[in-house]
Amino acid sequence: MNELSFTFNTLFDGFELSVNQTIPTQGITGVFGHSGSGKSTLLRCIAGLEKRTLGEVTLNGTNLYNSRSRYFIKPEKRQIGLVFQDARLFPHLNVIENIEYGRNRSKHKTLFTDDVIKLTQLEALKYKSVTLLSGGEKQRVAIARALLAEPKLLLLDEPLSALDNTSKQFMLTMLLNIQQQLKLPMLYVSHSMAELQQISDNLLVMNKGQVTHFGNVHNIIHTLNNCQSITQQTSLSLPIHENLPKYGLSSLTLAPNTYIYFPLLTSSTKSETAYNNIRCFIAASDISISRHEALESSIVNHFQAEITHIQPQDNTVLITLNCHEHTFYSSISLWSAERLSLHVNDLIYIQFKASAVHSLADIGML
Amino acid sequence: MIENSDLIALFTTLKMASITTIILMIIGTPLAWYLAKMKSRFKIIIEAVVALPIVLPPTVLGFYLLIAFSPEHLPGKLWQDITGQQLAFSFSAIVIGSVFYSLPFVVQPIQKAFEQLGDDILEAGAVLGANAFDRFFTIVLPITKASFITAASLGFAHTVGEFGIVLMIGGNISGETKVLSIALFEHVEAFNYAKAHMLAISLLIGSFIILALVYLLNYSPQKIAKMSVKSSNKNRDINKA
Repeated sequence: MNELSFTFNTLFDGFELSVNQTIPTQGITGVFGHSGSGKSTLLRCIAGLEKRTLGEVTLNGTNLYNSRSRYFIKPEKRQIGLVFQDARLFPHLNVIENIEYGRNRSKHKTLFTDDVIKLTQLEALKYKSVTLLSGGEKQRVAIARALLAEPKLLLLDEPLSALDNTSKQFMLTMLLNIQQQLKLPMLYVSHSMAELQQISDNLLVMNKGQVTHFGNVHNIIHTLNNCQSITQQTSLSLPIHENLPKYGLSSLTLAPNTYIYFPLLTSSTKSETAYNNIRCFIAASDISISRHEALESSIVNHFQAEITHIQPQDNTVLITLNCHEHTFYSSISLWSAERLSLHVNDLIYIQFKASAVHSLADIGML
Repeated sequence: MIENSDLIALFTTLKMASITTIILMIIGTPLAWYLAKMKSRFKIIIEAVVALPIVLPPTVLGFYLLIAFSPEHLPGKLWQDITGQQLAFSFSAIVIGSVFYSLPFVVQPIQKAFEQLGDDILEAGAVLGANAFDRFFTIVLPITKASFITAASLGFAHTVGEFGIVLMIGGNISGETKVLSIALFEHVEAFNYAKAHMLAISLLIGSFIILALVYLLNYSPQKIAKMSVKSSNKNRDINKA
């Protein structure tokens, strides 16, 4: 019963939260939605910080809240951690004291402070006043503090929204490392699809207080392509093949003997490669279509693909393609589509530059 | 220089002010918390009642308390039934009067600090496993301690300085209800200005010291640290230049 179930039907100031969902408590589940969609309210309800709600919450088979039977486990008893958007560190305690606040109240104390400090790379800041920390450092302290409380589930409410792109790369790599090492299930809220594409295993999409989609992150991103609610893209998770520092390129295995080339992995994104496939995305507008393979072209990525769906959208056409059992999306002009006379089941060639393949290094681009 | 009766008045004053301050901190803290967190419209009414002694002449409050403390009325009668002693013109009466009189000076600074603290940081404590009691002592109290020091000091100093209310409900019984301000008044009435001056200057200096300490303690070490960081940065900039 490793799952989180929640049902809420409550009118808040300005919107109604109406959700009924069960999600597995393993890996990282991303929660995507635009501002005001109810993402943060949902996290607060799950954590028990919103008391005037109608509904029910069950975590790993344990009932935490049931409004009908007036059963309410207080937030401090739920063993659900929450990292807020604004860190909320205790200003009267220094870094190490803030971190140990969580550990001192943990029932298990199986994690060691020094290990978590190492994971969050806070060694040099241990005795610093939290009022003197940068935004990224504050969030690292907040994450370390939440980890040491040893929750069964960690909720993260847009923890990177106030950080610059370089800090975001570092923090996402750190969170992935933490998830891999501690096997702690996380619910990660963000309005940035680029962040969620990099970090989530599953994706839950919210709109106007309701869950509209839930499933594997790549599948959901591809589903959203058809709704035009995000930048249309091909989302992939592929094993790394080789690095070519001489050319400033790395390659990913799309299929046996078929590789996608993209900008060389930087040191800040390398730690991820030790554990996982590389997550990358290619904007649909960056993939072009040709009837013939452009062998004598500067464009390094060109593959044969089969058209599976053609969807006209105003003056463009979104073409869904199957390439070595992977789904690709290409957005071309209606004029080009008519000129090429494209039809479903046609075998064509897709091509895109190495620089069009975005990974963690390009976080914040979407 | 100082008469024995004045020393007794000083002791009575300090005893009254200390007991009053302790009682005020015990009842003022939950009241301030309630007022800071309360969202009901009745909050305004309670706040107005708490603030009344600031604007009300002490004799008005003293007059109504004197009536309430008399054995003919319920509070005074209850007191007499329980303790066997009359409440009016007793030490207990001036302590109770002082609690009412100095209540806003304790409640308001603490309430303001609780309001400024907000709920965000307490929610952070809750999701880390701290219960309400734990949160109060490990988060609320350390962050708002300056306001507690201010409240206790103001409550104490204000009680030391009260006159009208003590005279109305306590009379002028040496060793029981005669406090410094009343002793001072007596000396002035007897044209004994040297002794009056001695008590007046003592009260003046004592009050000044208490207020200076409040401001010093409110000038937190963090502010001093920030100032020193600023000045060291300034020095570094000067050196670079």
